Amino acid sequence: MIPKRHIRPKKTSSEKSQLSSNEERLLIERVKAGDQKAFEAIFSLYVSRVYRQALKLVGNEADANDVVQEVFLLVYRKANSFLGKSEFSTWLYRLTANAALTKLRQIKREKVVSLDEYMPKFRKDGHHLVRPVADWTQDIENLVSIMESRQIIQQAIDQLSPIDKAVVVMSDLEELSNPEISKTLGISVQAVKARLHRARLFLRGRLTSHFGYSPT
Amino acid sequence: MVNRAQVRRAKPKKVDTCKQATTLILTYLMGELDSKTTRSFEEHLMICPDCVAFLNTYKKTIQFTKSLQYDEIPNEMKKRVKEFLRNKIKLDPDNR
Ligand SMILES: [Zn+2]
Repeated sequence: MIPKRHIRPKKTSSEKSQLSSNEERLLIERVKAGDQKAFEAIFSLYVSRVYRQALKLVGNEADANDVVQEVFLLVYRKANSFLGKSEFSTWLYRLTANAALTKLRQIKREKVVSLDEYMPKFRKDGHHLVRPVADWTQDIENLVSIMESRQIIQQAIDQLSPIDKAVVVMSDLEELSNPEISKTLGISVQAVKARLHRARLFLRGRLTSHFGYSPT
Repeated sequence: MVNRAQVRRAKPKKVDTCKQATTLILTYLMGELDSKTTRSFEEHLMICPDCVAFLNTYKKTIQFTKSLQYDEIPNEMKKRVKEFLRNKIKLDPDNR
């Protein structure tokens, strides 16, 4: 895989044409000076991106709405704390991640599932406990529609702890590198990898048992 | 930003068991395993259909996650939030 260097979340079709970084810098300077028109321009440019990022984490429209409001109020109030050392989009990404994580921690998860149940298990000699390991990738088209599998994955992602969910979303949906995720979440790269691997094993286990096989 | 030096310093591992192979999947897929460990990992795959099946399903799981779809912000919400912010800032322009 190619190392990902900068946080550049995918642009959406509804986003306006991009400003040059110089134009963007000037706009931010005007926001810092309290210029409301400049603030609204920033809002229009980034609102779609912020919403989608929030939605992936909080999982529903109403909470994503709250996060968007919160983030742009912060942009207006804390513009002065943006020093221009990183790109504005990176600063905004982290602001959104923090706001969404705070929100996510307030949302009560329907039921807390044990990840352990879905982890692979091994014999003393290190071989898989249940053999043969089923390769259900072959029968996806026939047995279950792809839509159904996506639904299972989405439900399983929603059952992860906020921090694990954030790691999966940032890595597999936003395609951030491990060091970027580490900086955004304030955990070590090693912890990012460990959480990502464990979460993926859990998602894989959920799919595997959905297909009627032992997840272990 | 892979820390190449760190990757290189990691001691090569011999992959003898499925348990070891499973632990290395993430690093393997990220291309961060040193070449010796990569070779050992792939040699295990050649003799172990269970780990091939496990790797396939692990990769497919990532693919499904990547394919999840999320809606765009509804226009009506965009307008509503813009209005909310406009009022909030007008009422309270210096609260920063
Ligand atoms: Zn094996």
